[in-house]
Amino acid sequence: MALNTRIAHVERLAFSYPEATGAALTDVSLELERGEVVLVLGRSGSGKSTLLRALAGLVPHFHGGRFSGSVGVAGLDTRSTAPAALAGTVATLFQDPEDQIVFERVSSEVSFGPENLALPPAQVEKRVVAALAAVGAEHLLDRSTRDLSGGELQRICLASALALEPQLLLLDEPTSQLDPEGAAVFLELVERLARERGMTVVLSEQRPALPLEICDRVLFLERGSLLLDAPRRQAIEWLEENAPVFVEPPESFDKQGGEPGRVICRMEKIGYAYRPGIPVLENVSLELRRGEVVALAGPNGSGKTTLAKLACGLLETQEGEVVRHGRAGYLSQDPGRYVVCERSEDEVALGIDGDLARARGWLVELGLGGSERRHPRDLSSGERERLGLAAVLATEPDLLVLDEPTRGVDPGRKRELSELLRTGASGRATLLVSHDRAFARSVADRVVSLAEQGVLVSA
Amino acid sequence: MEQLVRPSAALALLGACVVAALVMAHPLALALLAVILLVLLLRTPWRRARLFLLGIAVSSFGLFVIWPLTEHKGSHPLWNGPIVPVLGSIDVTREELAAGAVQTLRLATVALAFALWALMLDHDRLVREARLARRSVLTVALATRLIPTLERDAVGFVEALRGRGVEVEGLRGRSRLLAPLVASSLERALTLAESMEARGYGRPGRAPVLRARFNWRERAALAFSLLLLVSSLLWL
Repeated sequence: MALNTRIAHVERLAFSYPEATGAALTDVSLELERGEVVLVLGRSGSGKSTLLRALAGLVPHFHGGRFSGSVGVAGLDTRSTAPAALAGTVATLFQDPEDQIVFERVSSEVSFGPENLALPPAQVEKRVVAALAAVGAEHLLDRSTRDLSGGELQRICLASALALEPQLLLLDEPTSQLDPEGAAVFLELVERLARERGMTVVLSEQRPALPLEICDRVLFLERGSLLLDAPRRQAIEWLEENAPVFVEPPESFDKQGGEPGRVICRMEKIGYAYRPGIPVLENVSLELRRGEVVALAGPNGSGKTTLAKLACGLLETQEGEVVRHGRAGYLSQDPGRYVVCERSEDEVALGIDGDLARARGWLVELGLGGSERRHPRDLSSGERERLGLAAVLATEPDLLVLDEPTRGVDPGRKRELSELLRTGASGRATLLVSHDRAFARSVADRVVSLAEQGVLVSA
Repeated sequence: MEQLVRPSAALALLGACVVAALVMAHPLALALLAVILLVLLLRTPWRRARLFLLGIAVSSFGLFVIWPLTEHKGSHPLWNGPIVPVLGSIDVTREELAAGAVQTLRLATVALAFALWALMLDHDRLVREARLARRSVLTVALATRLIPTLERDAVGFVEALRGRGVEVEGLRGRSRLLAPLVASSLERALTLAESMEARGYGRPGRAPVLRARFNWRERAALAFSLLLLVSSLLWL
C-alpha cells in the first residue's frame, strides 16, 4: 500500500469576503505534501493571506463570505470543521505579533493552545518547554510579554504555534517586522523545524530573497488566481520571466542629480534615553541636505525610529542639538492604522487646511483616484499605506521622514515607491528608515547605519 | 512577574482588608493597616502604582474635607461657618474632624487593598484557573491588556497627525481621536479573536491547569488575611 504523503488539498476554491465587489480567490487548486516548505508569493491583495486562512479554516468560518470548492487538511473538511477543532492539526502565525498576544506571561501565552486542546497539565508543561526550546527562547519562560522586543515576540508566537504540534504550519509574512539578520535566523529556524519534524510549512512573504533559498515549492497568486505552482528551481525561472521584481534586486535609480543643496536638518551629538541610564542613542550626528535621500539602517532596537522622530521634531532632544530649516513631514510605521477621517480626501486634506482639490490630486498621484469618498478603513491595507503617504506628501515638506515605508509592501509597490521618492527628491531632504537593505540601496544617495548602541556609522 | 500572587491568595487578602477596614473602629488600628498596605503597594512597579496612589490621595483628601462639613456632631466647635440651604449650619467640631479622619482612613484602606489586588494579582492565572464565567474573566483580562495598547495607539495617532503638521490640542482635539482609536482597537480585537480561534479557543473542554504549590508570598498573604480577619472581628 502506498504511503499517503498528502497533508492538505485545495480543490477549485473560490471565495469572496462579505460585501466585497471582487473575489479574493478564484478556482484555486493545489495539494500540500508532508514535510515540504511552500512559499506563497504575489502582490498585495492577490489572495495570499486568504489562501492561508482557508487552509486554517478561518475562511469561511471566522470571516463569512461566499465559499465554493473544498479544502481538506489531514482528512478534515474545513467547511464542516471549525478552526478551533483544526487547532491540533494546523497552526497559524499572523503578521503582527503584538495583535496575537493574549496573556501577560510568556509561559501562559505558550500554554494557551495546548490547554485549549484539553491536554493533561503535565503534557501542557512539556509542550511549552519543548516549543520554547525549539525557538531558542527557554530563557523567556517567565518574562512578561510586554517587555519583549519585536523579534522575541515573533519567536514566542512561533513557539505558541509549535506547542500545538501542528502537521501544517501557516506563516503569514512572519518576518515583516524583523531586520535582515532577525529574518534570516527566523527562516532558518522554520526550515530546520520543518525538516526535523516532517511538518509542512506554508509561508507568504514580501521579501522573497531569503525564503526562496529555503523553500521546496513556490505558489504565485495574482488577483486571486493561482498562476504558478512549481518546484523552487522552475519557479525561479518562471518568476524571472513573468514577475522579475520578485527575484531581481531592485533597480538602482540615477542619482547623478548634482550636488545636494543647503542643509535642511543638522543633528549634532544627539543622545536620547527613554529610561534613565539606558541610552538609545549616544553622540549621533547626521546632516540632511535638500535633494538627497539618506537611508537609515540598523538592527531592531538600535534607535532608528527615535532618531527619525528627533529629526522631524516629534521628540525633544535630551542631549545635543537639532537644527531644522523648513517644514518636516513624518510617515509613521503602519500609517494605515492611524487614519482619522471618514473620507479619504478629507484624510489627505487635513494637513493642507482642507484643500480638497489638492488632496484629490495627491490621491490620483498615489494611484488612489476613485477612492476619494471611500472610508479609509474600507481600503485594502496597501491602499491605506498609500493614503498615509499621500497625506504626508501633500504637505510638501522640506524634510520628509519615512519610517519603514516598505513593511508589508510587495516588490512591485516598492518599485513604485522608489520612483515616487526619487521623482520628488530634488525639492526636499529625505530620511528613509528601513531595514530593507535592497530597497534602501536602490533609492538612497547614501546609507548610514545605527549600530546596536545607537552609534552612527556609514554603511 | 515574580511579585504576582495567585487569585485565591489575592482574593483572601482583599477580602480580609475590606472586612477589617469596615469593621475596625480604632483609628490607630486602621492607620496601621493602611500603612502596611501602602508599604506593600510601594514595592510594586512605581509606574503602575503611582496612578492608584494619586487616585487614593485625591479621594481621601476630598472625603476628609467634606466629611466635617456634612456631619453635625460634637460640642467642641473649631470653626463656625454660614448656614447653607439643604446642608444647614456649616461648622467644624473636633468630633467631626475625628470622625472624618476615621472615615478617610477607612476609604484609603479599602482603596489601597483594591490597588494592591489589581497590582499583585496574577491575571494570567485568574484566566487559566477560572471555572466560572471563564469568557467574562477572559474579556476583563483582555480589556486590561488593551489599556496600554490604547495608550500606545493614542500616541501613534498624535504623532501621525503631527507628522502632517496637524497639532492635536485641547480636550476637543483629543476627543476627535476617540472614534478612530476605538476603530483601531476593534481592528486589533478582530485579529486577536482570529488568532485565539486558530489556537483552539472555543473547543469544548479545556485542560485543568497544573496547580503549583503556594509560594512563601502566597502563604504569607493567606496567613496575614486570616490573622487580620480574626483580630478585626474579635478585638479591633
